[in-house]
Amino acid sequence: MMNEQRREFIKKTALGVFAGFGVASGLVPAFSLEKTVLPAWDEKPVPGKIRWGMLIDMRKCKEDCQQCAAVCHHVHNVPDFRNKKDEVKWMWKNPYQNVFPTASQQFVSKEIKDRSCLALCNHCAESPCTKACPTEATFKRWDGIVAMDYHRCIGCRFCMAACPYGSRSFNWQDPRMAIHDPVTTYPTREQGVVEKCNFCSDRLVKGQRPACTEACPEQALTFGDLNDPASDIRQLLETNATMQRKPELGTKPSVFYII
Amino acid sequence: MIEKALKGNRSYWIWIAFLIAVIGIGLSAYNQQRWFGLTVTGMGRDISWGLYIAQFTFLVGVAASAVMVVLPYYLHHQKEFAKTVIIGEFMAVSATLMSMLFILADMGRPDRLLNIMLYPSPHSMVFWDLMVLSGYLVMNLVSSWAMLGAERKGAQPPAWVKPLVYLSIPWAFSVHTVTAFLYAGMPGRHLWLTAVLAPRFLASAFAAGTALLILVSLILKRTTGFDTGKEARAKLTVLAAYAGLANIFFLGTEFFTAFYSNVPAYKESLQYLFFGLDGNCQFVPLMWFSLISGVASIGVLLVPKLRNSTKWLVGACSALVLSIWIDKGVGLILGGFVPSPLQEIVEYTPTTTEICVTLGIWSIGILLLTLLLKVFVAVKMANEQ
Amino acid sequence: MEVMMTRSKLLWMIAGSALLLLILFSVFRKGEAETVPAPAPRAVAVDSTKCIAPKEFMRANHMRVLYEWRNSSVREGNRVHVASNGSRFEKSLNTCLGCHSNNRMFCFNCHSYANVKPKCWNCHLSPMETP
Repeated sequence: MMNEQRREFIKKTALGVFAGFGVASGLVPAFSLEKTVLPAWDEKPVPGKIRWGMLIDMRKCKEDCQQCAAVCHHVHNVPDFRNKKDEVKWMWKNPYQNVFPTASQQFVSKEIKDRSCLALCNHCAESPCTKACPTEATFKRWDGIVAMDYHRCIGCRFCMAACPYGSRSFNWQDPRMAIHDPVTTYPTREQGVVEKCNFCSDRLVKGQRPACTEACPEQALTFGDLNDPASDIRQLLETNATMQRKPELGTKPSVFYII
Repeated sequence: MIEKALKGNRSYWIWIAFLIAVIGIGLSAYNQQRWFGLTVTGMGRDISWGLYIAQFTFLVGVAASAVMVVLPYYLHHQKEFAKTVIIGEFMAVSATLMSMLFILADMGRPDRLLNIMLYPSPHSMVFWDLMVLSGYLVMNLVSSWAMLGAERKGAQPPAWVKPLVYLSIPWAFSVHTVTAFLYAGMPGRHLWLTAVLAPRFLASAFAAGTALLILVSLILKRTTGFDTGKEARAKLTVLAAYAGLANIFFLGTEFFTAFYSNVPAYKESLQYLFFGLDGNCQFVPLMWFSLISGVASIGVLLVPKLRNSTKWLVGACSALVLSIWIDKGVGLILGGFVPSPLQEIVEYTPTTTEICVTLGIWSIGILLLTLLLKVFVAVKMANEQ
Repeated sequence: MEVMMTRSKLLWMIAGSALLLLILFSVFRKGEAETVPAPAPRAVAVDSTKCIAPKEFMRANHMRVLYEWRNSSVREGNRVHVASNGSRFEKSLNTCLGCHSNNRMFCFNCHSYANVKPKCWNCHLSPMETP
């Protein structure tokens, strides 16, 4: 009796697993959980001490290169539904006038006009999305990262309406079906929650840099602490003319651009 | 008192059966949506709210408009509204219920609904909206039910009803103001980012809700013989007309600010809705239909000769409701998403599943209203005999 | 006539509430669960002294531990759990599965028996998915 029940159960769950993560078990040969290590810091962090930021040097960014976005989407199990309506994206490229619609558009040099710019979550210091969230599922972390608590998200999509940068995606359907090359080091999301760039908080905790900055063959992305005047990013901000997206909205983005 | 809803003629039961059938269709469509996700709707990454939130917005307005009879009756002792006031409150009850159901239908994880209460976030307008909506629902249901119960017994209503009704008057304004604040506080959505949104919401709500109330009272008269009175309807007609006028005025001020200032971000959504943007003009015919039918119906309602004829009155009220439904639902919600933050223009067409869920929720609300009004009419008729 | 109506109504009400009580009773009764032993997991011997807390405590409270871990690590950044014997663990589901995934059925056996359906595996990798 018990055995029969168990067999039935195994059959059912195996089916479920096959449906849910079938792609994964088939495609990844060495499939084991990542060994946990103690994080880069020990105690509860002090809020506001660090503010992570990124500087994107568009002069170095190669037009047909999408390496950063590809790596980002790979290491975070971002699904690809291959249709625009259900699209989920953390990092992508769009033409200059789409990414900076309120910046000067008249008589811009052809070089800039034709350039595709990298877009991702700005991790705003004054983030409208965290303000709109009715459950604090999206919240401002101690280190300036606008984080998602997928355990809490109710899928009302208020944050998507509130974000002036289009940085948020909703899981209109089960994302596991559309992860073509899954990794085991990061969880997936589930149907009905909103997701977005997490500034690689999963890698920061291990003392690593964000995946996109490592992936860029041209070293166009600089990541660092905006609160530390000695950091690389602050040095670059000091010595270069930089831009933020839609600064007139007062959101204070933590992502800067050199055009 | 509720047992009075269980006694009715043939057409009453056919109507109930019809509503239940539509609810069934809606439930099965919703089941499909739960299973496959919101991908079964027409919504997508760029237009992330659609028909559901549009209905929600419209219905909160209908709910708030009960104040148009409650206020004159209780504060100004306009006795003509004696027979209409409970109808208005019952309409508010079912409209509030529907609007809450539309929020539920729009959620990706409705099983986590209680998270809004478990992690209350006063910085979020949704939290406040849920508070005022549920408060408004309870307030209206309790006070109107108590009033009707007292009337049935021929007794004075309990003493606590009056204060509750007085509280519900400012509450009605707050319900729709907070709903406007859901949208009006978002940077980067310029169609919504306007201080005139809350006043415009109230104006359109008072126009559409009052027109709907006139229609309901006419339907009651036709189906049950219960008449709320010509004077009450005449007064409501004038209220609806002026509220509609105010709505058109507010829309005009939006146009002026956007097009005279010539700031692209402010212009683009209005341009998309009414004239088309970069060759995309999905909603242009619908918006002009809304504008023209709105203006025309207000014109009819303002001419005494026309509004005194039932035929013209029904036509004008229906056109006004439809006009505001398009303006507030389709135009305001969908227009807010176009162009997207990345300057893209995306089209939106609701799917069959989405429409079925929407009709299902409407049927739930109409069923509730039917039952409540059935009780109401039965009590009134018994008293009159 | 009027009396008949109320009497039949009363009968219906009694029948209805009896049915309701029966359903409630059958849903919430506890009795049998204690008499039938839970299916013992086919344990691959795991050194349970290495766990963050005694076996008995974890059996009853693992969900609370996980809830508290996920809140304090995700939301407050407090990622280190110090056990009563002073040993330190990362607050991560993977810390648990580091040992317990030895038994594929570790989570599922009891959850299926107790008919609880936690949603962990919608996103996280379960021991079932690790070969």
